[in-house]
Amino acid sequence: MTKLIKYSFLIFACFIEANPFESTYEPLPSENILIRNANIYDGEGNEFKETDLLIQNRKIMALGKDLPVSDDFLIIDASNKWVTPGIIDIHSHMGVYPAPGVSTSADGNEATSPVTADVWAEHSIWVQDPQYALALKGGITAFHILPGSANLIGGRGVTVKNLQRNTINSMKFPDAPHSLKMACGENPKRVYGNRQQAPSTRMGNAAGYRKSWIQAKAYLNRLDEYEAKSDEAKEIGYAPQRDFEMETLAGVLRGEILVHNHCYRAEEMATMINIAKEFDYKITAFHHGVEAYKIADLLAENNICGALWADWWGFKHEAYDMVQANIAIVDQALGGKGCAIVHSDDAIGIQHLNQEASKALAAGLRAGFDITKARAMNWITSNPAKAAGIYDQTGSLKVGKNADVVIWSKNPFSVYAIVEKVFIDGATAYDRSTNFQPASDFDVGIISPEKNRIEE
Amino acid sequence: MKNYLKIIFLIFIFIHNGLTNAESILIQNVTIFDGKTNNPYVGNVLIEDNKISRVSSSNMRGDKVIDATGKILTPGIIATDTDIGIVEIGALSVTRDDSSDLYQIGFSIYDAFNPNSVLVPWNRSNGITSAMTLPQNTDSPIGGLGSFFVLDSNLQVSGIKDNVMIGRVGGSGSKSRSETFAIIEDLLEFASSLNLKDMESYKDIADLIDDSPIAESMDLHPRDIKALYNLVNDDLPLIISANRASDLLKLIDLKLKYDLNLIIMGAQEAGLVADKIAKNNIPLIINPINNIPESFDELAANIELAAYLEKQGITLMFNAPRSHNFHLIRQGAGVAVANGMSYAGALRALTSTPVEVFNLGDRGEIVAGKVADLIIWDADPLEPSSMPEKVFINGKDIDLTSRMTRLTDRYIKNKDKPSIYRN
Repeated sequence: MTKLIKYSFLIFACFIEANPFESTYEPLPSENILIRNANIYDGEGNEFKETDLLIQNRKIMALGKDLPVSDDFLIIDASNKWVTPGIIDIHSHMGVYPAPGVSTSADGNEATSPVTADVWAEHSIWVQDPQYALALKGGITAFHILPGSANLIGGRGVTVKNLQRNTINSMKFPDAPHSLKMACGENPKRVYGNRQQAPSTRMGNAAGYRKSWIQAKAYLNRLDEYEAKSDEAKEIGYAPQRDFEMETLAGVLRGEILVHNHCYRAEEMATMINIAKEFDYKITAFHHGVEAYKIADLLAENNICGALWADWWGFKHEAYDMVQANIAIVDQALGGKGCAIVHSDDAIGIQHLNQEASKALAAGLRAGFDITKARAMNWITSNPAKAAGIYDQTGSLKVGKNADVVIWSKNPFSVYAIVEKVFIDGATAYDRSTNFQPASDFDVGIISPEKNRIEE
Repeated sequence: MKNYLKIIFLIFIFIHNGLTNAESILIQNVTIFDGKTNNPYVGNVLIEDNKISRVSSSNMRGDKVIDATGKILTPGIIATDTDIGIVEIGALSVTRDDSSDLYQIGFSIYDAFNPNSVLVPWNRSNGITSAMTLPQNTDSPIGGLGSFFVLDSNLQVSGIKDNVMIGRVGGSGSKSRSETFAIIEDLLEFASSLNLKDMESYKDIADLIDDSPIAESMDLHPRDIKALYNLVNDDLPLIISANRASDLLKLIDLKLKYDLNLIIMGAQEAGLVADKIAKNNIPLIINPINNIPESFDELAANIELAAYLEKQGITLMFNAPRSHNFHLIRQGAGVAVANGMSYAGALRALTSTPVEVFNLGDRGEIVAGKVADLIIWDADPLEPSSMPEKVFINGKDIDLTSRMTRLTDRYIKNKDKPSIYRN
């Protein structure tokens, strides 16, 4: 992934000196910590009982029994508690559809044209959204913010750390790639069809994506030609004029921007796979995919993740064929080669992704699959990290990764499990025992002047 | 002649089925959460005909015995706020029967209820055995009538017609809530002036509308006026959706002034005025998992709301996203318990409390004499990962097949055949 980032930086370098939108994230102050005697799901499909976890210099340093540490380590006794990697949501609209849900801040859909590859979700984010802090109490350490699904191609998504800051750059996850939001089905054809413009049908949708990719291919050819020139030739020639829409689509064709595709029906997902093959790009994940179970093997063959709900359905026709085993069936495709992700798309759901995973797991077991809790934990940790392109940094408790860690009061597959502590890059971001929790500016003095919005 | 024979035959069948005792069912050695008391106990429950005939720790006999050792038995969950049976697919208006262009206060959804909706077996398979189905809010701040339905898939619908009125107060984006309160007051004043004799003829009611500025300006119909009359004279439960603390207090004033049987739904800021809600015995319907300050009316939204209100002695019921996702009510109840509410309190909110508040008959509790709407759970019912193992409605052991289980089977079994030729 780092390589990809370097390449993408090269593209930018053709046009501009430095990337002004680069992450300026800085972690909170941290200590070296030994979490002692915890039960652990490591996000790699493993479960460890009564095991220590060592955090040093903001990284996971060791996992093992009776780890020795020097006196300067903060020791946290986690006996009878559970430890997991920080939970990651691959589908969130926090910030772009913040609370309160008022029209003046509903900035997630640039529904003025069916293709708006030029817009970036990060330029809509309201950093004072009170929902981030609620998600943090659900163990969320990073999440991916996507544009909405009104458009065929809705723009770039961005991965952020769940640490509220006063600028977007300082929340952006370092070295995380952008995504491209695409959407199938009812939403784009409804939004534009109602205005008597294309697309008004699913075939209109398909034509729309393909037209855009034809343009993007042509743009990329011009760009490649220019970049292949010698430095001297570049100086006398002209660089292709910047085109935000084309830059984004070319980024996808070069594999630097990851495609996250809202798509419910099985045959539409298959069509999108055809289009991806036609134009030689990769789809990282289908989102919502209520019918993913019908083509689970096809998804696995093409290394496409299903970012899915446990049991949310029925609000529209393309969400009618829900089965509770959807996530498990996708996970178990081709003998366990599938990539399943539990996503929220919802500011309440994001606070309880562990419970969503629990429901999906239980449905899988009822359907006869043999899936461990440790594997189901991957659905909300390492798999979304992979789909966001940040797995080399987070998403599991592998030695050397960022110390994004959650301590739960009980087994997180229980509804009664409460998040007790959250560490982001080894720093305490939330501690229930000391009531250490963030509050956005929105929360300050808004009901009664001397208090924050929520005081527990 | 043939028709006579048919009728006689049908009568015979009817009497035969009506009089023959169905075999009794004994659920043995089960852990009983009776939906009322605080502590579970292990016992046996005997179902005869459609009723719970005996609950005891001593041995009993039944024609059919179900050993439920280690399992949990609860009353069937009673949903308080759904559109089950009147909305098949949210975004498809042709499948929606929850609104009216003409009627407001007296708009009833009862005749639209579809017992064959896939929502019925789906909700049942999640432990919901009966439901209050409510229309969308109408153009009037009070009005629209909900009904109670037993989710037995019987085309001969059983339930209680028009047993609740709904309404709403709050920030609307178009007009002041002060106007909303004034309209409600005007309507209630008008309703208070009505008497039974006025209700007897259509013509009389039509004349009353002509004489009433509020009824006339709102284009009310005799059907609407009858509903208003029932509201103030028949103690009809009135569920008002409201959230802001100041709105809740104003509603309490209206309840006292017009002696309303008021229930408040939403109530996100109830914690700020809990003492007054408790003092005036106003039951609340809240969504315990919803802690999002979704509007400026809901700023105090808090995950610990259910626990706090319970401690203040307030009668609580729960809701969840309508119909398709109403099964999430158990997850909500579990989250309420995880955040401090009592387990028995959360179960009451799903079972006996709605029965008491809405007069839903002899159900909602596991005691002798109540209708046998019962669930045997495979594990703790407030864990969202748990599911019903057996569901009884009116004493009948209900098949838990749903469209979802059929589709699941289609894609995990008999994979050698094309899916269209499976099951």
